[in-house]
Amino acid sequence: MTQLQARGVVRAYGPTPALRGVTLDVAEGEIVAVTGPSGCGKSTLLHCLAGILRPDVGEVTWRGHRIDTWSEAARSRLRRTEFGVLFQFGQLVAELTAAENVSLPLLLAGTGRREARTAALTWLERFGVADLADVRPGEMSGGQQQRCATARALVTEPRVLFADEPTGALDTLTGEQVLTQLVRLAREQHTSVVLVTHEPRIAAYADREIVLRDGLVDHTGLGLDVPLAGGAR
Amino acid sequence: MRAGTLVRLALAGTRTDTARVVLTALSALLATLAGLAALTVLAIEKPPGDAWAESEQYRNALLREPGLRGGTAFALLMLTIPVLALAGQCARLGAPARDRRLAALRLAGATPGQVTRLAVLETGVAALLGTLAGLGVYLGGRELLHRPDAQGQLALPTDVLPSTGAVAAVVLGLPVVAALATGVLLRTVTTSPLGVSRRAGRERGPRPWAGVLIAGGLLTVAAIRPVLSRLNDDNDVLLRLVPLLLLVGGLTAMIGVVIGTGWISYTCGRLMRRYARRPPALLAAGRLMADPWAGSRTFAALLAAVIFGAGAAVLRAYFAAQDALDREQNQLAGAAGGSDPFYLSTMDLVDVAVAVAVLIASGGLIVAVVEGIVARRRAYAALVATGVPRATLSRSVAWQALTPAVPAILLALTVGTLLGRGLFGRVASSGSSVGVCEASAALCDDPATSAQYTRVVETPPVERVPDVPLEHLAWLGAGATAAVLVTVGVGLLFLHSSTALDELRAA
Amino acid sequence: MGGVSTPHVLLGLLAGGSRHGYDLKRAHDERLPRARPLAFGQVYATLGRLQRDGLVTAAGQDRAAGPDRTAYALTGQGRATLDEWLSTVEPPMPYVASTLFTKVVVALLVADVDRARSYLTAQRAAHSARLRELTRVKADPAATLSDVVAADFAIAHLDADLRWLRATLDRVADWHREVHP
Repeated sequence: MTQLQARGVVRAYGPTPALRGVTLDVAEGEIVAVTGPSGCGKSTLLHCLAGILRPDVGEVTWRGHRIDTWSEAARSRLRRTEFGVLFQFGQLVAELTAAENVSLPLLLAGTGRREARTAALTWLERFGVADLADVRPGEMSGGQQQRCATARALVTEPRVLFADEPTGALDTLTGEQVLTQLVRLAREQHTSVVLVTHEPRIAAYADREIVLRDGLVDHTGLGLDVPLAGGAR
Repeated sequence: MRAGTLVRLALAGTRTDTARVVLTALSALLATLAGLAALTVLAIEKPPGDAWAESEQYRNALLREPGLRGGTAFALLMLTIPVLALAGQCARLGAPARDRRLAALRLAGATPGQVTRLAVLETGVAALLGTLAGLGVYLGGRELLHRPDAQGQLALPTDVLPSTGAVAAVVLGLPVVAALATGVLLRTVTTSPLGVSRRAGRERGPRPWAGVLIAGGLLTVAAIRPVLSRLNDDNDVLLRLVPLLLLVGGLTAMIGVVIGTGWISYTCGRLMRRYARRPPALLAAGRLMADPWAGSRTFAALLAAVIFGAGAAVLRAYFAAQDALDREQNQLAGAAGGSDPFYLSTMDLVDVAVAVAVLIASGGLIVAVVEGIVARRRAYAALVATGVPRATLSRSVAWQALTPAVPAILLALTVGTLLGRGLFGRVASSGSSVGVCEASAALCDDPATSAQYTRVVETPPVERVPDVPLEHLAWLGAGATAAVLVTVGVGLLFLHSSTALDELRAA
Repeated sequence: MGGVSTPHVLLGLLAGGSRHGYDLKRAHDERLPRARPLAFGQVYATLGRLQRDGLVTAAGQDRAAGPDRTAYALTGQGRATLDEWLSTVEPPMPYVASTLFTKVVVALLVADVDRARSYLTAQRAAHSARLRELTRVKADPAATLSDVVAADFAIAHLDADLRWLRATLDRVADWHREVHP
């Protein structure tokens, strides 16, 4: 079932067009990678899909409801309840501990303190950073911070996770560990993932790859239309 | 580095940098005005005659009486304290961005000295522009306000000028001090091209040592009266110690309150962290605990003004009580009138000074609140992206400012009141015996008959404790709290631009 | 993948003690999970050559289990050869030669930009598909570290190839102009 849909999305920053008409479907539980060279509009597409930005032209629908016309407050509520958002770095509140950071979305939804903390600890445990529950981000390594941020993005058990270069600030091994865990948990919960990255090996975690170029879909990485040499595998 | 390059790089900032330069210049201007005004009052020459000879050319007793001029100059100098605090806040405006810019210059190969020179140049030049403008305003104002009235009396001492050396010291000295302060503040940035490094966690919050300072200050001031009463009038040396004791005691208590605000912030943060149920309070609690001294820095000028104002309120209550007591005594003695109304009317001036100080301190508060929001814009933008409503963030900013502010203002009010009551805790009338003649003027004037109609009225010595001016103190506290509220409101206007999504794109 | 040194792998497997040919094949497939599986014939042929060169020796026969089950052991000379191999650094890409690279050059020589581009595009799709497949193997919770390390080796190379394919797709027109001035 199609969860999220973009139809002919156009978005410009001043005179600079970032997206020039992008159409894309994300099915329930599907992991879609959006790749392309720097400045191709990857992040802008993610922001439009997540309801953070409104497209200038075109529409974005969530389970059949057009969300780009919603008010900022309504889209905020949607992001808080149905979506999870993960950035490259710097998204944790520096003054709060890991457990507090992770419980923040639950508290916003009205969950009690104790319950939220229990859930936060569970999620920190899943990412192997339960021992950092009472540590502040400034005292953690980049990888540990990103694990906490991922736990925060997933703690509300969102239907869609938006990840913008989630491993961009991490070394290869750490990035892979974070992503492996993220993908595994997303699959367990049937959470769709929109993964923006410029690295082929990160995009390979997805079921499908959308390549953007100059604000347009260049090609999609689906299937093979030529035979493999010698049939060797 | 060539001078041209230096100037080009010093001016390479953003709008925030421009704002900082303008505000630095403005606070330098205000400080210059206050300083020059104080110097002018001190420059009034005492006319020949005995120690009480008045300078008759002025309308106001504060300027006329030699005994009061020192106090007037001192009060004017005290006004520079909130102004300097404002300057300190302004220097922090956009500081993270500037620190990053300077760190980038270090990475590009600039030596620590070159970078420090850049920042010092910026502050120094801005302050110099401010002091020069201040000098201009002062000289211009002098010409404009030099209007003798019908009796040839002046409202302000526009007929005297401080010595050139003193003026030069203010106009050139302030920029030098500002530049040196900048150099000191930039130590950490200039030593590391990586800019602000990872911060180690604070193991323990501030300890309540501030209580010792407050108690010490209060005791010092409270000791003045007993010491005075044991002194003989001719003990000149000890008599001169009294103002010193007052100054040291008052300043110690004031520093105690300002430092105590750090402890208050931390304790409020800890309590809120434990009991807060909603995210705004939790966010505020985290910030209060992470940097408890931010509260001390932010509220220093405001709290100083509140302490001063509370002391002044007590002083006013003292004068009022003295006035009432004198009236009663005079009535007993059959005469009308109270004490000199001069003191009570002077208190109006002091109250105006306190209001001005609170206003200036609020300027510093606004700068601090805005700076706090701008410095966290990346995290704010990320939170908004994950669906945190801006209202939640606004509430967290308000919590963060108000939670420590309210107890700190209460503490400042208490300390100011206690300081005042330590000095002016009792009104006294020494008692007298007056012969009152109760007959016609003819009989009384005749020495032969007057004795027979004269009755000796004994007024016993009376001591009374003036009331605590609760209403006055409440207004002061409400005013200070309102100032904090208004600054938070203004600061929140900046929240919207600080949560713009562009902040997420800047790596 | 070229340059697989089966004799040295067998010498390495024998370094821990003597083994039968069947054992060797199984150990080989277990340690190199993503390599082409070793055929029995190849094992015996290689062992024969190693025995001829004096690097291994037959360490007795288990008659009860059948004549094919001869155990082999490493000789002193075999150990020396293994040591020497292990202490030699492989020359890092001494020649830039790969079918992938060569095919694009030939495509440009014999055909036009479009031909080269369509080959590069198809190759990119194939690389992406294989990369995704290996990533899935690696991300499988049941994967052993041997699986992960082996998959990782291929992933890193495919990743590098994909970056090269992308960059070359962007340059292929200019390149063609250089080849056909």
